[in-house]
Amino acid sequence: MQKNALYILLADDDEDDRLFFKDAFEEIKIQTNVDFVHDGMQLMDHLLNPDNKLPDILFLDLNMPKKTGKECLIEIKKTERLKNIIIAIYSTSSSEEDIEDTFIQGANIYIKKPSDFNTLKKIINEVVTVNWHYHTSGLNRDNFLLRLK
Amino acid sequence: MKWIPNFNSSNSLRVIFVIAVFILLFLSSIAYKHNQDLNESSKLVMHTYEINIQLERLMSAIKDAETGQRGYIITRNARFLTPYIYSRDKVNTSFITLKKLTADNPVQQRNLQNLFKLIIQRFVSFENCLKYSDPKTYDKRKLDNHMFGGRILMENIRFKVDEMNDIEKDYLSKRLKIYAAEISLSPLFSVSLFLVALCFILLAYRQISRDFERLKVFNKRLLISNGLIAESEVIGKFSTWQWDLDSQKIDYSDNQFRLLGYEPNAFVPVKETFLDFVHPDDKETVSKSMEGILNKKQLPFVYYKIMLPSHEVRYFKSTGKLLTDQQGSKILLGINFDITDEHLLNIELQERNKELEKSNKELASFNHVASHDLQEPLRKIQTFISRVSDADKAVMSQSARDYIAKIEVSAKRMRVLIDDLLLFSRTNTTKKEFIKSNLNELLENAEAELTEIIDEKKAIITAAKLPKLSVIPYQIEQLFINLIGNSLKYSQPNITPEISIESEKVLSADYPDLLEQDVKKFHKITFTDNGMGFDPQFKETIFVLFQRLHSKTDYPGTGIGLAICKKIADNHKGHIIADSILNKGSVFTVFLPD
Amino acid sequence: MKLFIKFDINTICSLYLKQNLEQQNINFTSLGFGEIEIADNLDADALETLKNNLSPCGFEIVENQKSVLVQKIKDAIIELVFMDDSNNYKSSVFLAEKLNHSYGYLSNVFSEVTYSSIENFIILQKIERAKQLIIINEMSLTEIAFLLNYSSVAHLSTQFKNTTGITPSAFQRIIKKRRENLK
Repeated sequence: MQKNALYILLADDDEDDRLFFKDAFEEIKIQTNVDFVHDGMQLMDHLLNPDNKLPDILFLDLNMPKKTGKECLIEIKKTERLKNIIIAIYSTSSSEEDIEDTFIQGANIYIKKPSDFNTLKKIINEVVTVNWHYHTSGLNRDNFLLRLK
Repeated sequence: MKWIPNFNSSNSLRVIFVIAVFILLFLSSIAYKHNQDLNESSKLVMHTYEINIQLERLMSAIKDAETGQRGYIITRNARFLTPYIYSRDKVNTSFITLKKLTADNPVQQRNLQNLFKLIIQRFVSFENCLKYSDPKTYDKRKLDNHMFGGRILMENIRFKVDEMNDIEKDYLSKRLKIYAAEISLSPLFSVSLFLVALCFILLAYRQISRDFERLKVFNKRLLISNGLIAESEVIGKFSTWQWDLDSQKIDYSDNQFRLLGYEPNAFVPVKETFLDFVHPDDKETVSKSMEGILNKKQLPFVYYKIMLPSHEVRYFKSTGKLLTDQQGSKILLGINFDITDEHLLNIELQERNKELEKSNKELASFNHVASHDLQEPLRKIQTFISRVSDADKAVMSQSARDYIAKIEVSAKRMRVLIDDLLLFSRTNTTKKEFIKSNLNELLENAEAELTEIIDEKKAIITAAKLPKLSVIPYQIEQLFINLIGNSLKYSQPNITPEISIESEKVLSADYPDLLEQDVKKFHKITFTDNGMGFDPQFKETIFVLFQRLHSKTDYPGTGIGLAICKKIADNHKGHIIADSILNKGSVFTVFLPD
Repeated sequence: MKLFIKFDINTICSLYLKQNLEQQNINFTSLGFGEIEIADNLDADALETLKNNLSPCGFEIVENQKSVLVQKIKDAIIELVFMDDSNNYKSSVFLAEKLNHSYGYLSNVFSEVTYSSIENFIILQKIERAKQLIIINEMSLTEIAFLLNYSSVAHLSTQFKNTTGITPSAFQRIIKKRRENLK
């Protein structure tokens, strides 16, 4: 479908989650490159470095050391160069407040970390597909809200 | 104020005294007049006697003259003529005196005039007698004539004198009669007046002594109530002070001294005294508010600290008002309350509040722990199990496969438990924002949430028109999800689940045991299903946390769902009840305030 | 002040494409649906320049025939969904007639290239339109449901929820708050 693989960045301090994430991306059909950062500070350093390519989708854990996902989200949305990155919150929390709050702060997707690997694959597949549609089919990114359980 | 005695008698007393004084004045004036009258009458008597005497003197002078003349005529001795020569002067003197005495009486004056004429005639006759008796000019006939004429004149004079005396006497007796009449009346009058005055004074005395008694009673009462006020100041830990702005005199109530750590009246307060007691931190505030009273005539409560001589710190609350009394003098009335106890209690309360807040925060953080940290390992357990592929399982022993399956089931159950617990605690802790919502929309959302199981069971859900109410939307949605989910879960096998949702407006008065009576109208929303139902004896207990009617192997559940429903109904000041017939169906009724 | 601007993606894209091509002095004719015919053959360098020029706005030169067809399907679906009288058409018929292929073929190609179905894409587009209509806030959900050919509001709500994970009202609320937040 596209020449260049989709560039995915996951910010999560949990090693197991990063592993599941990597495995899941490897098993879906769409071609992707997946990168990881371990905390909020590292994420912001990575994004703010102009030499680094910006991710097509940023998966952001809310509960991270040094800088929380919510802080990163607000910072990204305030930075002109970064504010158009599609952001998927990837969190254990299913609190309605967290969900609505991050959407309001500009997140596009909210994923509650599933407790089943197949579900994870399904979710990731859906995110990538929908994102691709948004990318290619003239859909308005401002209206891009997706909540996945 | 009721207890001030009404001394009206003072007015009547005043009247009585004035009357008595007038009577006494009257009496004394009468006495004075009597005195005057007596004086007058004695003067009158004197006057009459004097006239009498003078007249007699006049007569005797004339007689002396007559006798002297006669003697001269007989003897021709000139010595006999001496009284005659002097008699003329004596007559004149008496006559002048008489004229003075009778000045006030024209009748007597006229008589006197006549008398005088007669006397002059008499003296003329004397001269003539002398002339004609003189041997040189002796004329017996003429002498006899004159002598005889003198005799007649003498008779006339005597007559005249008697007449005048009579007139005087008449006068005297007439006047004396009037005086006697007056004087004979006055003793009776005086005595009766005196008695009246005495009566009045006695009356006044009686009134005074009665008032005095009353005064004593009221005084006693006043003392008691004063004592009570002082006592209540002690009990109520407050005190009063008055500051007379005109005389700059400041009065403290006894308790004011005590509150400041002194014996009553231990010192004489002046304007600055009070500020000396105020804690240095609050001095400025208090002195400002004192100024404020003078301008605004009223003082809102001021709160400050007081430092006792013993260096103990007490907390005071004060208020005051500027009063103007009937005399127009301005008095500042102040009340101080010693609120140390309340203050300390408040502090304690605040501390407890803080503790409560702290423990609430702890609860919230526990919530977070449960929502995140506890789920984290569980999720991983589940995910790792899901990563054990069928191929992996194929090479396992049968028992290992069974264990894996059991771990999976237990982990799933734990997940449900944690999720439900979270949901339950969230209905408590999250902010309760009431928004006017269309319950039909919320029901649609709930149905959308349950699409999967509705489709799976091919359930038929019919809903009437539901009201628009001010609710916490996601909680009502949760309530609908739980109730419908419950009905679907406990549907009867082989029967299409049917749930009908209806709504009607009811009066809280019709459900006195269930509903809060402050709110008049409620919406009664019923969820009727054709499921397996439950034994009605459990209709109360099913709303209790962790109460389950079925074994967890038959029907997975945590016993939290209906407890959440109850909590949500409570959050909305509503109510939820259930009823059922076993194997026929259940009815859940939710009451929500209008 | 708030302005809601309705725009036609196709017109904008055509215009943008035209400007870019003219800038490079390329002689072309537009065949519609993003298909253009270039009179002369472009050398590799010119093609690369064109690619680079177009990419900032998400334009891509589709090189594969199937991809071209998928792009045509997508454009046709967008046209259908954003048509005000779309109720009159059945999407499969509309696509088959428009693109001159059987619906089965189109469906297969689409799934093969995009890993999702035409139906899903249609739903995505319909929900996208619903989102726009919700934001403009001139129509009630009932009207939107009718306009987008849904049998009921419930159906729209359910599909909205299934597609986006949130309810239409939550969507409306979030977008409103997000805008306030930006201010």
